[in-house]
Parts: sequence; C-alpha cells; structure tokens
Amino acid sequence: MNSAINIENIKKSLGNREILRGISFKVNRGDIFGYLGPNGAGKTTTIRIILGLFKADSGNLDILGQDIESSETRRKIGFVLDLDGLYDGMTARENLIFYSRIYGLAMVEEKIGQLLDMVELSGRGNDRVHTYSTGMRQRLALARSMVHDPEILVLDEPTSGVDPSGQIQIRKILLNMAHKENKTIFLSSHNLDEVQRICNRIAIIDRGEIKLYGELEDLRKKMGKSGIIIRSSNDIPDEVIKEVKRSPDLGLKEVKDSNLIFMPDEGTETSDIISFLSSRGVKVEEAIKQEASLEEMYSNILKEAEPS
Amino acid sequence: MKNISPIITTNMRNNLRSKTVVIIWYGTALLILIALAALFGILLITPELNKVSPDKAKLELYLGIIMFSAGSLGLGINLSALGFTSMIREKSRGNIQSLLATPIRLKDIWMGKSLAIFIPGLILGELLTLISLVAVNYIYFVPKVGFVLSPWIAVTGFFAIPLIYFCLGLLVYLIGLTGKPVNANIIAQAFLPIYLNIIIQILIRTTIFDVSSWTFTLTNIGFALVIAIIVLIRQARVSKEKIVLSY
Repeated sequence: MNSAINIENIKKSLGNREILRGISFKVNRGDIFGYLGPNGAGKTTTIRIILGLFKADSGNLDILGQDIESSETRRKIGFVLDLDGLYDGMTARENLIFYSRIYGLAMVEEKIGQLLDMVELSGRGNDRVHTYSTGMRQRLALARSMVHDPEILVLDEPTSGVDPSGQIQIRKILLNMAHKENKTIFLSSHNLDEVQRICNRIAIIDRGEIKLYGELEDLRKKMGKSGIIIRSSNDIPDEVIKEVKRSPDLGLKEVKDSNLIFMPDEGTETSDIISFLSSRGVKVEEAIKQEASLEEMYSNILKEAEPS
Repeated sequence: MKNISPIITTNMRNNLRSKTVVIIWYGTALLILIALAALFGILLITPELNKVSPDKAKLELYLGIIMFSAGSLGLGINLSALGFTSMIREKSRGNIQSLLATPIRLKDIWMGKSLAIFIPGLILGELLTLISLVAVNYIYFVPKVGFVLSPWIAVTGFFAIPLIYFCLGLLVYLIGLTGKPVNANIIAQAFLPIYLNIIIQILIRTTIFDVSSWTFTLTNIGFALVIAIIVLIRQARVSKEKIVLSY
C-alpha cells in the first residue's frame, strides 16, 4: 500500500451549491503534495473531508488504507487548518501539552523541547500565544500538528498572512518534516512559488474539478511547451529569420536583438535548431532551455476553464 | 472521562485566565446577593422575628428564597460571563474546529467544554448558597429562634438549582456550537432574571409551592429534566459539519 491519501470521485454539495464535482487523486507516501486552486475552488472543503470534518455525499476516501472515521486513522494525521486553533491565553508549551494529552500521550519535556526547536520557538516556549506574530503562530501550529508523530500532515495554507522571512522559515520546517521526519505532506496553498519549491506532486482544482494532477516535473514537460533561447554572437541576417519562420516545426516565437526564442513542436530537438542555424552561418553562442513555470501552467489551466 | 479531562482542565484554566472578567462578574454576583439578603433582612425577616411568635414557615420561605437566589446568581452569572466569552473566542480562533479533527468524539468536546464552564459556576453557586445559609442563620435566626433549615430547601439549593444550570449550560453551549454564540448568550442572560423572578413571585404571592416542601424541589428537578430532554433532541441533530459551517 503506497498511497497515503486516496480520493475517488468525491462529490460534495453545501446547500444548493456543488462544491466538489467528483474529484479523484492519490497522495503517495513520502509526497509533498501541493493542492492549488483559486478562492472558492473547493480546497478547504477537500481538506475538511480528508480530516473527517465533512462527510462526502458520494465517492471513496481512504487514509493509509483506512476509514477516516476510525480514531486510529485520526491519530495518524496531523493538521494545520485555516484558523490555527491555538489557545491564546496559554503558553506555547501549554498548547503542546494540551494536544499531547488529547492524543492520550504523556508528553515529556524533552519532546516539547524538540518540537519547539524544530519550529525555532524554543526561546519563546513559555510566552503566551497572544504575544506571537502570525508567522510564530503558524510555526507553533506546525509543532502542534507533530505532537503525536503523525504519518500524514494536512496543511491548509500554512504561510497565509506570514511575511516573506516567515514563509522561508516555514518552508524550511516543511522540508525538514518531509525529509528528516519522513512525513507525507498535503499542502493546500495559494503560493505558487512555495509549491514549486517544495512539492513533488500537485493537483490544481477549479470550481470543484481537478484540472491538473501529477508529478510536477512530468506536468512541466507535458504542459509547459518548454521554450529554447538561442543566443548568437553575431547579428542574425533577415533572410535567415525569414527562413526560420518558414519552418513551422522549429516554432520561432520571438526575435530579440541577437536572441531567438523558440517553442518547438514535439520531436524537434534543440540540436535540430542549432544545426539549422549553424548551417546558415549563425554563430550559436548559447542555447538555454526554459521550462514552463507552475505559474504559467496554473494560469493556462484557469484560462482554459473560464466559461467563454 | 479520560478523554474529556484534558479538555475540562485546560479550558477551565484558559477561561479563568482573564482575572478582570472573573473579578467583575463574580464580585457582581456577591454584591447582588448581599443586597438581596440585606433587603430581605430589613423588610421581611426582622419584622417577622420581632413578632411574639415568629412564623417558622415564613422564615424558611425567606431563607429558601435567599438560598435559591444565591445558587442561581452564582451559576447564572458564571454561565453568562464564561460561557459567552469562551465560545466567542474559541470560534474565532478555530479551537473547536481543530479539536473536531482529533480522535476525540464530538460529544466529549461538547461535554468537556460545557463542564469547563459549569464547574467554576458550581463552586461559586454552592459557596454562595452555603454563605447565605450560614450568614442569614447566624445574623438573624440563631439569636432568636435557633438554626433554621428544612432538608428540602437544602436539596433544592445545593442540588436542584445546579442541575438546572448544568442542563442549561449544555443547551447554551450546544446552541453556541451550531449557531451564533450571541444567540446562546441571549438565552443564558435572559434565563437568570426571568426564572428567578417567576419563582420568587410564585413563592411570595401564591401558595402553589412551599419552598421547604419536596414538591418545590421536585418541580425544579422536573424543570431541569425538561431542559435535558430539549438538549437530547437537539444533540441528536448536531454534526461536525454543522459546527464547522457555523463559523
């Protein structure tokens, strides 16, 4: 059993509104899975179903091969929700002790120390949470999600409202959790840069439907129409440019000074473009392969999904 | 119980952290009780005691009303003060939503949080009832007629009133969980003056109830049971989804 979270054809309506329209995806063990989508796409509803806060109208969900309703399964999941759920009047330590008791654990001081260290809050462990910044609260919420040493972490926009340096810290912690602590992470986020940096697999949801899903690298190759920039050390003669334009398989997209930007068809390699140009006297200085960014993929997906 | 004990202890500590709220509300309860006891003492108890043969039934009635009010004040003010503030705070911070995603059952969360509000009120209510019993007896009764206390007054004051407020607390928290806390607070706030006033009026102006009789005690327990039935009916329809959507 390699899947940590397996969602099959889940549908969910709230009132008359169809929030999820039969979504399916799998999160494998060890994944850092990015779940992207605009506001109102159904991300939080999906998370609530995964955590057993909502019941799906139809479809199947299993977590590590088990039903989410069982308390044993819930013990294997840690979470940070849209509202952090921390007790403001209590210190960071007290919050962690409380949650460890909720999971029936006798929390030892050493473990609390480790968790506070991990989220870089060890110096503020005895301060009440109402004195914390948003970033510190989110880090503490991450520590809290780890008190019972879960196998899966479900995080709903953990960097939302956090300043850039706080975001970097949180990303570092997440990578630590995934690689050192061997956790599977399901990360819902608006932050494409963050997802691009840390996730290996993604799903993009829009209006309750999964629009794109898979390995980030594969999707880039498949979706992104990777571009090639050719830099020449001499000026490119107009006749050559005209000739290049006459060969649509090369996919010339733009000419900028002595740079040519290509979006070649499938089957056309960089070497084909270079030999085409070299045979016509162009001195190719550099060929740079440009991969599609997640941002491009994301905006293309959402553009395609827009009603005409 | 093992599951809910961390919820009770942690929430009690968290709720009582705001010293200002605690002092203001609990101080108010004590002041109202002192004023009530003084008024009863001057207007009703002293004139009765000054008679050649004071009517023991009347003295029991006055003592019963003061004890009834003491318990209700302690429990009622606590419910309004702690119940409302903690519910608002916990909903806006997502404490309840986070707990719902843990292995703890919804019933345990509801019961634990309700008890965290009820227990300080119970302590305060019982304390105020005991203080009023001892104070009224030693200030007014003991020097003239001896110690006055019917067992049914004691059962009503120390058991039936807390039972009413326990059931009311469960109902109020349930309404707050699945709806707007402000609606729950209206019930909590309105219950105390309305119930107290109706009971005092009935006791003083009519002969329907004798405060020192078992019928009065049983009526109060019956009232608690009615609230408990409403709680059970409502509770059967509560789900995690309803709670989360009420945010």
